[in-house]
Amino acid sequence: MSKTTNFEAGRRARRISEQAVAWYLEQQDHPSERQRAAFLAWLHVSPAHVAEYLAIAQMHGDLKAAASMETMAAADLVEQARRENPVVVFPLVVADMARESLASPQYRHPWRRTLAQAVAFAAIVALVLLAGWQWRMTAGNLRESYAADADSIRDVRLPDGSLIQLARNSQIHVRFDARYRRVEVIRGNALFEVGKDPSRPMLVRVDGHILQDIGTVFDVKRDADSDSLTVISGRVRVWNAPRDGAGEIKIDVPHVQRSGDKIADLTAGEQIQLSSSGIGTIRPGQVEQATAWLPRDIRFQHETISDVAQRFNAYTSTPLVIEDARIADMQISGVFHANDPQAFSAYLATLPGVRVVHDSDRVRVIALSGAGDTKAGSL
Amino acid sequence: MFDKHKTWSKLFAEKGASLHSYLLRRVAHRWDAQDLAQEVYLRLLRIDPADAASIRNPEAYLFTIAANLIKERAVMRQQSPLSSEGLEEVIEQLSTPCNAEADMDRELRQQRLGVLIQRLSPKCRAVLVMHYRDELSYREIAGRLAISTNMVKKYIVKGLAACRQRMADYE
Repeated sequence: MSKTTNFEAGRRARRISEQAVAWYLEQQDHPSERQRAAFLAWLHVSPAHVAEYLAIAQMHGDLKAAASMETMAAADLVEQARRENPVVVFPLVVADMARESLASPQYRHPWRRTLAQAVAFAAIVALVLLAGWQWRMTAGNLRESYAADADSIRDVRLPDGSLIQLARNSQIHVRFDARYRRVEVIRGNALFEVGKDPSRPMLVRVDGHILQDIGTVFDVKRDADSDSLTVISGRVRVWNAPRDGAGEIKIDVPHVQRSGDKIADLTAGEQIQLSSSGIGTIRPGQVEQATAWLPRDIRFQHETISDVAQRFNAYTSTPLVIEDARIADMQISGVFHANDPQAFSAYLATLPGVRVVHDSDRVRVIALSGAGDTKAGSL
Repeated sequence: MFDKHKTWSKLFAEKGASLHSYLLRRVAHRWDAQDLAQEVYLRLLRIDPADAASIRNPEAYLFTIAANLIKERAVMRQQSPLSSEGLEEVIEQLSTPCNAEADMDRELRQQRLGVLIQRLSPKCRAVLVMHYRDELSYREIAGRLAISTNMVKKYIVKGLAACRQRMADYE
């Protein structure tokens, strides 16, 4: 069985599961005549529906016992669910940014206390603003620290569309303003897929070095004696960081160009060691090795194609580029082997109205000309 | 046959969920669940469209067909001569030979399911636990999480489907 059919099967199975659950819940809740007829019609469609329905009924019988294994109190679960909101724990960027010019160093600590008091209120405001990703306030300004704990990898999606995946025990500081997107890798291992924003370059600081991204996916790993950079796709330029900037990202491009010196340009598949004593030679990088800490499969539920493509791009030197906005916004669900982006692009090619073009350095996903209104097919 | 059919239908309609899982738990050891589903499906197809319209409770009907099949299979194998027409006794018969095994299985399944629930996203997890462990209604959960009841339902569907998919990986 080819991987594509495997995938198709997985995707279909998930959809049937969801339908079966929905029907099951509905049947327990005094369905109307019409709902019952629709349910019977659904059962008639396929033995797979019958099988899944019976399986859900069986699993449902175990749920009370299974859920009772959970030891966390409801209040804590609620608290945890509230914190799930992936963006901006301290969303006070508005006041912050208004006060502070780019170079002023005094902004860091005086804010903390009032900040904490304001958090509860501000978090609610942020939740409202962030609903549905309609986040336009302050044109994407942001100051935040993100950390992944010892138990899991963390995905950080930034307002510019960048996706930064943090390995266990990793931490980054992020600061976006009107002119630059700046990120500092404090510890651990982070993989960057940088969103496009030509007006605001992204600069990544790794100890004594600055990485300037040029539309790119790359992995940064901090170690006790040296750091390493692996470029998965695109290009990255490495600079020496100006000496006076310790502890804070206050670099900018003119600043870097004045006081630092460009030390390397890396392209897809290349790797370099960075340490305080200098840099190693550029050598072909083991992309697989550099990304071995990432999840081995990619699961997604009702995510847009552009978000899912971005996740695959962490693993491949020929990134997927979704060029059609309508396709980019289509929602899909499924499970894939992460290091098999070909299967994913093959799957995309099966969607109505979608054409996949393989170029040497990228895979472009475009609209099939003349395609009318389309939708991922229903069963 | 028809009378019995009716009785079981009524029973399933009344007892609903608890009976389903009880029945299906036993099936696993007697019969491959996929085979059962296939057979149930074939019988469903044989319903006259005119009769189909008069099926008031398709779910009870579905489980009635399943129960019939299980019973027929048992008779065919002459494993347990059935003296009664009552569903409870059928189930009793079905469960007797391998009760301990079934219980062990169930415990394992519940443990796996418990772990899967804990691995869901924090929202799915909170919703499922509050609903199934704490027996809160959708409305109550919606209030605590400050989301709509519709979203609560969505999280339950999403969460259960994800659990089911991963449980299927064990099979």
